[in-house]
Amino acid sequence: MPDLRLSHLARTFASGTSALADLTATIPAGAFVSLVGPSGCGKSTTLRLIAGLDAPSAGAIEWDGDRPEIGFVFQEPTLMAWASAARNVALPLELAGLRKGAALERARAALGHVGLAGFENALPRELSGGMKMRVSIARALVAGPAALLMDEPFAALDESTRARLNGDLLRLWSEEKFTVVFVTHSVFESVFLSQRILVLSGRPGRLVADIANPAPYPRDELYRTSPQFNDVARDVLLALKAGER
Amino acid sequence: MTQRLLRLVLPVLLFAALVWFWEWAVAYWQVKKFVLPPPSAILAVFQSDGASLLASAGATAKTTFAAFALAAVSGIALAALFASSRLAEAMLSPYAVILQVTPVVAIAPLVVIWVGLDNAWLAVLILAWIVAFFPVLANATAGLKAADPNLRDLFRLYRATPLQTFRRLLVPSSLPYLLAGLKTAGGLALIGAVVAEFAAASGTSGGLAWRILEAGNRLQIAKMFAALILLALMGVLIYAALTFLEWLLLRRWHGEVAR
Repeated sequence: MPDLRLSHLARTFASGTSALADLTATIPAGAFVSLVGPSGCGKSTTLRLIAGLDAPSAGAIEWDGDRPEIGFVFQEPTLMAWASAARNVALPLELAGLRKGAALERARAALGHVGLAGFENALPRELSGGMKMRVSIARALVAGPAALLMDEPFAALDESTRARLNGDLLRLWSEEKFTVVFVTHSVFESVFLSQRILVLSGRPGRLVADIANPAPYPRDELYRTSPQFNDVARDVLLALKAGER
Repeated sequence: MTQRLLRLVLPVLLFAALVWFWEWAVAYWQVKKFVLPPPSAILAVFQSDGASLLASAGATAKTTFAAFALAAVSGIALAALFASSRLAEAMLSPYAVILQVTPVVAIAPLVVIWVGLDNAWLAVLILAWIVAFFPVLANATAGLKAADPNLRDLFRLYRATPLQTFRRLLVPSSLPYLLAGLKTAGGLALIGAVVAEFAAASGTSGGLAWRILEAGNRLQIAKMFAALILLALMGVLIYAALTFLEWLLLRRWHGEVAR
Protein backbone atom coordinates (compact mmCIF):
# COMPACT_ATOMS: atom_id res chain seq x y z
CA MET A 1 0.00 0.00 0.00
CA PRO A 2 1.40 3.40 -0.97
CA ASP A 3 2.26 6.31 1.29
CA LEU A 4 0.54 9.60 0.57
CA ARG A 5 2.53 12.84 0.36
CA LEU A 6 0.95 16.28 0.31
CA SER A 7 3.47 18.96 -0.58
CA HIS A 8 2.69 22.68 -0.29
CA LEU A 9 -0.90 21.99 -1.21
CA ALA A 10 -2.99 25.13 -1.87
CA ARG A 11 -6.40 25.80 -3.33
CA THR A 12 -7.78 29.18 -4.35
CA PHE A 13 -11.25 29.19 -5.91
CA ALA A 14 -12.23 31.12 -9.03
CA SER A 15 -14.03 33.66 -6.80
CA GLY A 16 -10.64 34.53 -5.24
CA THR A 17 -11.41 32.82 -1.94
CA SER A 18 -8.39 30.98 -0.64
CA ALA A 19 -9.47 27.83 1.17
CA LEU A 20 -6.12 26.19 1.72
CA ALA A 21 -2.80 28.03 1.80
CA ASP A 22 0.01 25.60 2.41
CA LEU A 23 -0.28 22.01 3.59
CA THR A 24 2.65 19.64 3.65
CA ALA A 25 2.33 16.24 5.29
CA THR A 26 3.24 12.64 4.73
CA ILE A 27 0.63 10.06 5.60
CA PRO A 28 2.12 6.56 5.81
CA ALA A 29 0.20 3.63 4.43
CA GLY A 30 -2.26 2.22 6.93
CA ALA A 31 -2.19 5.25 9.22
CA PHE A 32 -5.24 6.81 10.87
CA VAL A 33 -4.86 10.58 10.57
CA SER A 34 -7.39 13.26 11.51
CA LEU A 35 -7.65 16.78 10.15
CA VAL A 36 -9.13 19.28 12.59
CA GLY A 37 -9.57 23.02 12.33
CA PRO A 38 -12.19 25.78 12.39
CA SER A 39 -14.92 26.02 9.74
CA GLY A 40 -13.66 27.06 6.35
CA CYS A 41 -10.06 26.06 6.98
CA GLY A 42 -9.94 23.80 3.95
CA LYS A 43 -10.41 20.41 5.61
CA SER A 44 -13.05 19.26 3.14
CA THR A 45 -11.12 20.87 0.30
CA THR A 46 -8.09 18.80 1.26
CA LEU A 47 -10.11 15.59 1.12
CA ARG A 48 -11.54 16.50 -2.28
CA LEU A 49 -8.02 17.21 -3.55
CA ILE A 50 -6.76 13.85 -2.27
CA ALA A 51 -9.73 12.09 -3.89
CA GLY A 52 -9.03 13.79 -7.20
CA LEU A 53 -12.47 15.47 -7.21
CA ASP A 54 -10.77 18.88 -7.33
CA ALA A 55 -7.38 20.07 -8.59
CA PRO A 56 -4.91 22.02 -6.41
CA SER A 57 -3.96 25.59 -7.39
CA ALA A 58 -0.42 24.87 -6.23
CA GLY A 59 1.50 21.98 -4.74
CA ALA A 60 1.11 18.30 -5.38
CA ILE A 61 -0.46 15.10 -4.15
CA GLU A 62 1.81 12.10 -4.58
CA TRP A 63 1.21 8.45 -3.95
CA ASP A 64 4.04 5.95 -3.93
CA GLY A 65 3.13 4.22 -7.17
CA ASP A 66 -0.26 4.46 -8.83
CA ARG A 67 -3.19 6.24 -7.23
CA PRO A 68 -4.93 3.52 -5.23
CA GLU A 69 -8.62 2.76 -4.92
CA ILE A 70 -10.23 5.35 -2.67
CA GLY A 71 -13.38 5.16 -0.58
CA PHE A 72 -15.17 8.38 0.34
CA VAL A 73 -17.71 9.02 3.08
CA PHE A 74 -19.54 12.35 3.02
CA GLN A 75 -21.10 14.20 5.93
CA GLU A 76 -24.50 13.14 4.63
CA PRO A 77 -25.04 9.42 3.95
CA THR A 78 -25.44 10.36 0.24
CA LEU A 79 -27.41 7.26 -0.69
CA MET A 80 -29.52 6.68 -3.77
CA ALA A 81 -33.04 7.01 -2.36
CA TRP A 82 -34.52 4.67 -4.99
CA ALA A 83 -32.13 1.78 -4.34
CA SER A 84 -32.00 -0.80 -1.53
CA ALA A 85 -29.12 -0.80 0.95
CA ALA A 86 -27.48 -3.67 -0.96
CA ARG A 87 -27.83 -1.92 -4.34
CA ASN A 88 -26.32 1.24 -2.82
CA VAL A 89 -23.36 -0.68 -1.45
CA ALA A 90 -22.92 -2.59 -4.73
CA LEU A 91 -22.64 0.65 -6.72
CA PRO A 92 -18.81 0.95 -6.83
CA LEU A 93 -18.52 -2.68 -7.93
CA GLU A 94 -21.20 -2.37 -10.59
CA LEU A 95 -19.63 0.84 -11.92
CA ALA A 96 -16.33 -1.05 -12.17
CA GLY A 97 -18.07 -3.61 -14.40
CA LEU A 98 -18.75 -6.43 -11.96
CA ARG A 99 -21.86 -8.49 -12.75
CA LYS A 100 -24.91 -7.58 -10.69
CA GLY A 101 -25.15 -10.93 -8.91
CA ALA A 102 -21.52 -10.99 -7.82
CA ALA A 103 -21.64 -7.31 -6.83
CA LEU A 104 -24.73 -7.87 -4.68
CA GLU A 105 -23.14 -10.86 -2.98
CA ARG A 106 -20.13 -8.78 -1.93
CA ALA A 107 -22.41 -5.89 -0.96
CA ARG A 108 -24.34 -8.20 1.40
CA ALA A 109 -21.09 -9.31 2.99
CA ALA A 110 -19.99 -5.68 3.41
CA LEU A 111 -23.34 -4.80 5.04
CA GLY A 112 -22.86 -7.72 7.45
CA HIS A 113 -19.45 -6.29 8.29
CA VAL A 114 -20.89 -2.96 9.41
CA GLY A 115 -23.61 -4.67 11.46
CA LEU A 116 -26.47 -4.37 8.98
CA ALA A 117 -27.10 -8.03 8.17
CA GLY A 118 -30.83 -8.41 7.51
CA PHE A 119 -31.26 -4.89 6.16
CA GLU A 120 -30.07 -5.67 2.62
CA ASN A 121 -33.43 -4.90 1.01
CA ALA A 122 -34.32 -1.86 3.12
CA LEU A 123 -34.63 1.46 1.36
CA PRO A 124 -32.73 4.46 2.78
CA ARG A 125 -35.96 6.08 4.02
CA GLU A 126 -36.62 3.01 6.15
CA LEU A 127 -33.26 3.31 7.97
CA SER A 128 -32.18 5.52 10.88
CA GLY A 129 -29.46 8.16 10.50
CA GLY A 130 -26.83 5.92 12.04
CA MET A 131 -27.83 2.95 9.86
CA LYS A 132 -27.67 5.10 6.72
CA MET A 133 -24.16 6.15 7.69
CA ARG A 134 -23.24 2.47 8.11
CA VAL A 135 -24.51 1.79 4.59
CA SER A 136 -22.37 4.69 3.38
CA ILE A 137 -19.30 3.21 5.11
CA ALA A 138 -20.02 -0.25 3.69
CA ARG A 139 -20.21 1.29 0.21
CA ALA A 140 -16.89 3.08 0.73
CA LEU A 141 -15.20 -0.16 1.83
CA VAL A 142 -16.84 -2.71 -0.46
CA ALA A 143 -14.21 -2.45 -3.20
CA GLY A 144 -11.38 -2.93 -0.70
CA PRO A 145 -9.86 0.56 -1.02
CA ALA A 146 -6.33 1.35 0.14
CA ALA A 147 -7.47 4.71 1.50
CA LEU A 148 -10.68 5.83 3.18
CA LEU A 149 -11.46 9.56 3.17
CA MET A 150 -14.14 10.69 5.62
CA ASP A 151 -15.59 14.20 5.67
CA GLU A 152 -17.18 14.78 9.10
CA PRO A 153 -19.10 11.55 8.68
CA PHE A 154 -20.67 11.43 12.14
CA ALA A 155 -21.31 15.13 12.72
CA ALA A 156 -25.09 14.82 12.29
CA LEU A 157 -25.51 11.84 14.63
CA ASP A 158 -26.41 11.77 18.32
CA GLU A 159 -23.62 11.15 20.80
CA SER A 160 -24.22 7.48 21.59
CA THR A 161 -24.64 6.52 17.92
CA ARG A 162 -21.50 8.47 17.18
CA ALA A 163 -19.50 6.68 19.89
CA ARG A 164 -20.68 3.31 18.62
CA LEU A 165 -19.74 4.15 15.04
CA ASN A 166 -16.32 5.42 16.22
CA GLY A 167 -15.67 2.03 17.81
CA ASP A 168 -16.88 0.14 14.73
CA LEU A 169 -14.73 2.27 12.45
CA LEU A 170 -11.62 1.45 14.52
CA ARG A 171 -12.49 -2.25 14.38
CA LEU A 172 -12.84 -2.17 10.58
CA TRP A 173 -9.60 -0.21 10.26
CA SER A 174 -7.64 -2.66 12.43
CA GLU A 175 -9.04 -5.59 10.43
CA GLU A 176 -8.49 -4.22 6.96
CA LYS A 177 -5.48 -1.89 7.40
CA PHE A 178 -6.51 0.86 4.99
CA THR A 179 -5.25 4.42 5.40
CA VAL A 180 -7.82 6.78 6.94
CA VAL A 181 -7.90 10.55 6.52
CA PHE A 182 -10.67 11.71 8.85
CA VAL A 183 -12.00 15.26 8.87
CA THR A 184 -13.82 16.39 12.01
CA HIS A 185 -14.80 19.46 14.01
CA SER A 186 -14.55 17.48 17.20
CA VAL A 187 -11.22 17.50 19.05
CA PHE A 188 -12.35 14.58 21.20
CA GLU A 189 -13.38 12.44 18.25
CA SER A 190 -10.04 13.09 16.54
CA VAL A 191 -8.08 12.12 19.65
CA PHE A 192 -10.13 8.98 20.27
CA LEU A 193 -9.72 7.72 16.73
CA SER A 194 -6.37 8.69 15.35
CA GLN A 195 -2.65 8.06 15.57
CA ARG A 196 -1.95 11.57 14.37
CA ILE A 197 -3.90 14.82 14.38
CA LEU A 198 -3.11 17.53 11.85
CA VAL A 199 -4.36 20.90 13.13
CA LEU A 200 -5.15 23.55 10.54
CA SER A 201 -5.45 27.31 11.11
CA GLY A 202 -8.46 29.43 10.16
CA ARG A 203 -9.05 30.33 6.50
CA PRO A 204 -6.93 30.05 4.49
CA GLY A 205 -5.82 26.82 6.15
CA ARG A 206 -2.21 26.26 7.13
CA LEU A 207 -0.75 23.39 9.10
CA VAL A 208 -0.17 24.67 12.66
CA ALA A 209 0.52 21.41 14.46
CA ASP A 210 1.14 17.74 13.77
CA ILE A 211 0.33 15.95 17.02
CA ALA A 212 1.01 12.25 17.58
CA ASN A 213 -1.26 10.15 19.76
CA PRO A 214 0.80 7.14 20.89
CA ALA A 215 -2.04 5.38 22.77
CA PRO A 216 -2.24 1.75 21.66
CA TYR A 217 -5.24 0.10 19.99
CA PRO A 218 -7.76 -1.31 20.64
CA ARG A 219 -9.06 1.77 22.43
CA ASP A 220 -12.23 1.24 24.43
CA GLU A 221 -14.77 3.70 25.80
CA LEU A 222 -12.78 4.09 29.06
CA TYR A 223 -9.90 5.50 27.05
CA ARG A 224 -12.04 8.59 26.48
CA THR A 225 -11.70 9.50 30.18
CA SER A 226 -8.03 8.57 30.71
CA PRO A 227 -5.24 11.06 31.57
CA GLN A 228 -3.40 10.14 28.33
CA PHE A 229 -6.50 11.08 26.33
CA ASN A 230 -6.72 14.40 28.15
CA ASP A 231 -3.06 15.22 27.53
CA VAL A 232 -3.41 14.82 23.77
CA ALA A 233 -6.77 16.62 23.72
CA ARG A 234 -5.20 19.59 25.54
CA ASP A 235 -2.36 19.75 23.00
CA VAL A 236 -4.88 19.75 20.13
CA LEU A 237 -7.05 22.42 21.79
CA LEU A 238 -4.04 24.66 22.40
CA ALA A 239 -2.88 24.25 18.82
CA LEU A 240 -6.39 25.13 17.58
CA LYS A 241 -6.41 28.25 19.75
CA ALA A 242 -2.96 29.25 18.49
CA GLY A 243 -4.13 28.76 14.91
CA GLU A 244 -7.10 31.07 15.34
CA ARG A 245 -4.85 34.11 15.81
CA MET B 1 -63.50 3.25 8.06
CA THR B 2 -66.66 5.35 8.47
CA GLN B 3 -64.48 8.37 7.64
CA ARG B 4 -63.47 6.80 4.32
CA LEU B 5 -67.04 5.76 3.58
CA LEU B 6 -68.23 9.30 4.25
CA ARG B 7 -65.56 10.72 1.95
CA LEU B 8 -66.92 8.47 -0.80
CA VAL B 9 -70.62 8.90 -0.10
CA LEU B 10 -70.78 12.64 0.63
CA PRO B 11 -69.66 13.87 -2.82
CA VAL B 12 -72.13 11.49 -4.48
CA LEU B 13 -74.95 12.71 -2.24
CA LEU B 14 -74.05 16.33 -2.95
CA PHE B 15 -74.01 15.60 -6.68
CA ALA B 16 -77.43 13.97 -6.54
CA ALA B 17 -78.82 16.89 -4.55
CA LEU B 18 -77.43 19.45 -7.00
CA VAL B 19 -78.80 17.57 -10.01
CA TRP B 20 -82.22 17.30 -8.35
CA PHE B 21 -82.20 21.03 -7.49
CA TRP B 22 -81.14 21.89 -11.07
CA GLU B 23 -84.03 19.81 -12.52
CA TRP B 24 -86.51 21.32 -10.06
CA ALA B 25 -85.29 24.94 -10.47
CA VAL B 26 -85.41 24.89 -14.26
CA ALA B 27 -89.01 23.67 -14.15
CA TYR B 28 -90.05 25.99 -11.29
CA TRP B 29 -88.72 29.21 -12.84
CA GLN B 30 -89.54 28.03 -16.37
CA VAL B 31 -86.00 28.62 -17.66
CA LYS B 32 -85.87 28.36 -21.45
CA LYS B 33 -84.21 25.24 -22.87
CA PHE B 34 -81.71 27.22 -24.96
CA VAL B 35 -80.49 29.04 -21.84
CA LEU B 36 -80.23 26.17 -19.37
CA PRO B 37 -81.58 22.73 -20.21
CA PRO B 38 -82.58 20.43 -17.31
CA PRO B 39 -80.41 17.39 -16.53
CA SER B 40 -83.13 15.15 -17.98
CA ALA B 41 -82.71 16.87 -21.38
CA ILE B 42 -78.93 16.27 -21.25
CA LEU B 43 -79.58 12.62 -20.40
CA ALA B 44 -81.95 12.45 -23.37
CA VAL B 45 -79.16 13.73 -25.64
CA PHE B 46 -76.93 10.91 -24.42
CA GLN B 47 -79.70 8.47 -25.38
CA SER B 48 -80.40 9.95 -28.82
CA ASP B 49 -76.87 11.09 -29.86
CA GLY B 50 -74.75 8.96 -27.54
CA ALA B 51 -73.04 6.96 -30.26
CA SER B 52 -71.99 9.97 -32.34
CA LEU B 53 -70.87 11.89 -29.24
CA LEU B 54 -68.76 8.94 -28.13
CA ALA B 55 -67.22 8.76 -31.61
CA SER B 56 -66.31 12.44 -31.29
CA ALA B 57 -64.89 11.81 -27.83
CA GLY B 58 -62.83 9.03 -29.39
CA ALA B 59 -61.45 11.45 -31.98
CA THR B 60 -60.50 13.99 -29.31
CA ALA B 61 -58.99 11.25 -27.15
CA LYS B 62 -56.94 10.05 -30.10
CA THR B 63 -55.55 13.56 -30.65
CA THR B 64 -54.91 14.00 -26.92
CA PHE B 65 -53.06 10.72 -26.52
CA ALA B 66 -51.01 11.21 -29.68
CA ALA B 67 -50.09 14.76 -28.63
CA PHE B 68 -49.24 13.59 -25.11
CA ALA B 69 -47.06 10.74 -26.36
CA LEU B 70 -45.32 13.04 -28.82
CA ALA B 71 -44.79 15.67 -26.11
CA ALA B 72 -43.41 13.08 -23.68
CA VAL B 73 -40.96 11.57 -26.16
CA SER B 74 -39.76 14.87 -27.64
CA GLY B 75 -39.64 16.64 -24.26
CA ILE B 76 -37.59 13.88 -22.64
CA ALA B 77 -35.28 13.57 -25.66
CA LEU B 78 -34.61 17.31 -25.77
CA ALA B 79 -34.07 17.43 -21.99
CA ALA B 80 -31.53 14.59 -22.30
CA LEU B 81 -29.77 16.56 -25.03
CA PHE B 82 -29.75 19.67 -22.79
CA ALA B 83 -28.33 17.64 -19.91
CA SER B 84 -25.49 16.29 -22.03
CA SER B 85 -24.59 19.53 -23.80
CA ARG B 86 -24.73 23.03 -22.36
CA LEU B 87 -24.14 24.38 -25.84
CA ALA B 88 -27.27 22.67 -27.16
CA GLU B 89 -29.26 24.03 -24.21
CA ALA B 90 -27.99 27.58 -24.76
CA MET B 91 -28.76 27.31 -28.46
CA LEU B 92 -32.22 25.69 -28.34
CA SER B 93 -33.87 26.67 -25.07
CA PRO B 94 -34.81 30.21 -26.22
CA TYR B 95 -36.85 28.68 -29.05
CA ALA B 96 -38.58 26.31 -26.66
CA VAL B 97 -39.52 29.29 -24.50
CA ILE B 98 -40.76 31.30 -27.52
CA LEU B 99 -42.90 28.34 -28.56
CA GLN B 100 -44.28 28.17 -25.03
CA VAL B 101 -45.09 31.84 -24.47
CA THR B 102 -46.73 32.44 -27.86
CA PRO B 103 -50.46 31.78 -27.40
CA VAL B 104 -51.40 28.64 -29.29
CA VAL B 105 -54.61 30.24 -30.58
CA ALA B 106 -52.43 32.78 -32.37
CA ILE B 107 -50.24 30.13 -34.00
CA ALA B 108 -53.24 28.03 -34.97
CA PRO B 109 -54.30 29.82 -38.22
CA LEU B 110 -50.78 29.51 -39.57
CA VAL B 111 -50.52 25.81 -38.77
CA VAL B 112 -53.99 25.23 -40.22
CA ILE B 113 -52.94 26.90 -43.49
CA TRP B 114 -49.66 25.01 -43.67
CA VAL B 115 -50.86 21.49 -42.94
CA GLY B 116 -54.54 21.69 -42.03
CA LEU B 117 -55.91 22.14 -45.54
CA ASP B 118 -54.79 18.65 -46.51
CA ASN B 119 -55.00 17.05 -43.11
CA ALA B 120 -56.99 18.79 -40.38
CA TRP B 121 -56.15 16.11 -37.81
CA LEU B 122 -52.41 16.69 -38.26
CA ALA B 123 -52.87 20.42 -37.69
CA VAL B 124 -54.79 19.77 -34.48
CA LEU B 125 -52.17 17.25 -33.37
CA ILE B 126 -49.32 19.71 -33.92
CA LEU B 127 -51.09 22.44 -31.97
CA ALA B 128 -51.93 20.14 -29.04
CA TRP B 129 -48.32 18.93 -29.03
CA ILE B 130 -47.00 22.51 -28.81
CA VAL B 131 -49.13 23.10 -25.71
CA ALA B 132 -48.22 19.83 -23.97
CA PHE B 133 -44.54 19.74 -24.87
CA PHE B 134 -43.13 22.50 -22.69
CA PRO B 135 -43.95 21.21 -19.18
CA VAL B 136 -42.30 17.89 -20.05
CA LEU B 137 -39.18 19.64 -21.31
CA ALA B 138 -39.00 22.08 -18.38
CA ASN B 139 -39.57 19.44 -15.70
CA ALA B 140 -37.32 16.81 -17.25
CA THR B 141 -34.56 19.41 -17.64
CA ALA B 142 -34.93 20.53 -14.01
CA GLY B 143 -35.04 16.89 -12.90
CA LEU B 144 -31.87 15.93 -14.75
CA LYS B 145 -30.08 18.78 -12.96
CA ALA B 146 -31.49 17.84 -9.56
CA ALA B 147 -29.13 14.97 -8.77
CA ASP B 148 -27.34 15.23 -5.42
CA PRO B 149 -23.94 16.89 -6.12
CA ASN B 150 -22.24 14.54 -3.64
CA LEU B 151 -23.63 11.53 -5.51
CA ARG B 152 -22.31 13.05 -8.74
CA ASP B 153 -18.89 13.30 -7.07
CA LEU B 154 -19.17 9.69 -5.97
CA PHE B 155 -19.86 8.60 -9.55
CA ARG B 156 -16.82 10.61 -10.66
CA LEU B 157 -14.68 9.06 -7.94
CA TYR B 158 -15.59 5.60 -9.23
CA ARG B 159 -14.90 6.67 -12.81
CA ALA B 160 -18.45 6.08 -14.02
CA THR B 161 -18.95 6.51 -17.76
CA PRO B 162 -21.37 9.26 -18.89
CA LEU B 163 -23.87 6.55 -19.82
CA GLN B 164 -23.63 4.92 -16.37
CA THR B 165 -24.10 8.29 -14.68
CA PHE B 166 -27.10 9.05 -16.88
CA ARG B 167 -28.81 5.71 -16.39
CA ARG B 168 -28.07 5.08 -12.72
CA LEU B 169 -28.08 8.61 -11.29
CA LEU B 170 -29.65 11.26 -13.52
CA VAL B 171 -32.68 9.29 -14.71
CA PRO B 172 -33.84 8.06 -11.27
CA SER B 173 -33.18 11.48 -9.67
CA SER B 174 -35.25 13.18 -12.35
CA LEU B 175 -38.21 10.79 -12.15
CA PRO B 176 -40.28 12.73 -9.56
CA TYR B 177 -39.85 15.93 -11.61
CA LEU B 178 -40.58 14.19 -14.89
CA LEU B 179 -43.78 12.59 -13.58
CA ALA B 180 -45.01 15.96 -12.28
CA GLY B 181 -44.34 17.35 -15.75
CA LEU B 182 -46.20 14.50 -17.41
CA LYS B 183 -49.20 15.11 -15.14
CA THR B 184 -49.33 18.73 -16.24
CA ALA B 185 -48.77 17.73 -19.86
CA GLY B 186 -51.63 15.22 -19.78
CA GLY B 187 -54.14 17.92 -18.86
CA LEU B 188 -52.60 20.39 -21.29
CA ALA B 189 -52.73 17.88 -24.15
CA LEU B 190 -56.52 17.74 -23.75
CA ILE B 191 -56.78 21.53 -23.48
CA GLY B 192 -54.52 21.86 -26.53
CA ALA B 193 -56.62 19.39 -28.51
CA VAL B 194 -59.82 21.29 -27.70
CA VAL B 195 -58.32 24.71 -28.43
CA ALA B 196 -56.86 23.40 -31.68
CA GLU B 197 -60.21 21.94 -32.74
CA PHE B 198 -61.85 25.30 -32.03
CA ALA B 199 -59.13 27.13 -33.94
CA ALA B 200 -59.24 24.76 -36.88
CA ALA B 201 -63.04 25.15 -36.78
CA SER B 202 -63.58 22.35 -39.23
CA GLY B 203 -65.78 19.29 -39.10
CA THR B 204 -63.08 17.12 -40.63
CA SER B 205 -61.40 16.64 -37.28
CA GLY B 206 -64.74 15.56 -35.79
CA GLY B 207 -63.74 15.99 -32.14
CA LEU B 208 -65.84 17.02 -29.16
CA ALA B 209 -64.82 20.67 -29.42
CA TRP B 210 -66.19 20.78 -32.92
CA ARG B 211 -69.45 19.23 -31.65
CA ILE B 212 -69.67 22.01 -29.03
CA LEU B 213 -69.23 24.69 -31.70
CA GLU B 214 -71.74 22.98 -33.98
CA ALA B 215 -74.34 22.51 -31.22
CA GLY B 216 -73.81 26.10 -30.08
CA ASN B 217 -74.51 27.44 -33.54
CA ARG B 218 -77.78 25.48 -33.56
CA LEU B 219 -78.65 26.50 -29.98
CA GLN B 220 -78.66 22.81 -28.94
CA ILE B 221 -77.53 23.70 -25.46
CA ALA B 222 -78.23 20.26 -24.01
CA LYS B 223 -75.87 18.73 -26.54
CA MET B 224 -73.20 21.30 -25.58
CA PHE B 225 -73.55 20.18 -21.98
CA ALA B 226 -73.31 16.54 -22.97
CA ALA B 227 -70.06 17.18 -24.87
CA LEU B 228 -68.74 19.25 -21.96
CA ILE B 229 -69.44 16.43 -19.52
CA LEU B 230 -67.55 13.98 -21.73
CA LEU B 231 -64.56 16.37 -21.89
CA ALA B 232 -64.52 16.77 -18.12
CA LEU B 233 -64.64 12.99 -17.70
CA MET B 234 -61.71 12.60 -20.10
CA GLY B 235 -59.70 15.17 -18.15
CA VAL B 236 -60.38 13.37 -14.86
CA LEU B 237 -59.43 10.01 -16.40
CA ILE B 238 -56.14 11.36 -17.73
CA TYR B 239 -55.28 12.89 -14.37
CA ALA B 240 -56.19 9.73 -12.49
CA ALA B 241 -54.16 7.53 -14.84
CA LEU B 242 -51.06 9.70 -14.54
CA THR B 243 -51.40 9.98 -10.76
CA PHE B 244 -51.60 6.19 -10.62
CA LEU B 245 -48.47 5.90 -12.77
CA GLU B 246 -46.69 8.29 -10.41
CA TRP B 247 -47.76 6.27 -7.38
CA LEU B 248 -46.67 3.06 -9.09
CA LEU B 249 -43.17 4.32 -9.88
CA LEU B 250 -42.40 6.40 -6.80
CA ARG B 251 -44.39 4.97 -3.89
CA ARG B 252 -41.49 2.92 -2.54
CA TRP B 253 -38.86 5.59 -2.22
CA HIS B 254 -40.23 9.07 -2.68
CA GLY B 255 -41.53 10.68 0.52
CA GLU B 256 -44.09 12.99 -1.10
CA VAL B 257 -45.94 10.13 -2.74
CA ALA B 258 -45.38 7.47 -0.10
CA ARG B 259 -47.08 9.46 2.63
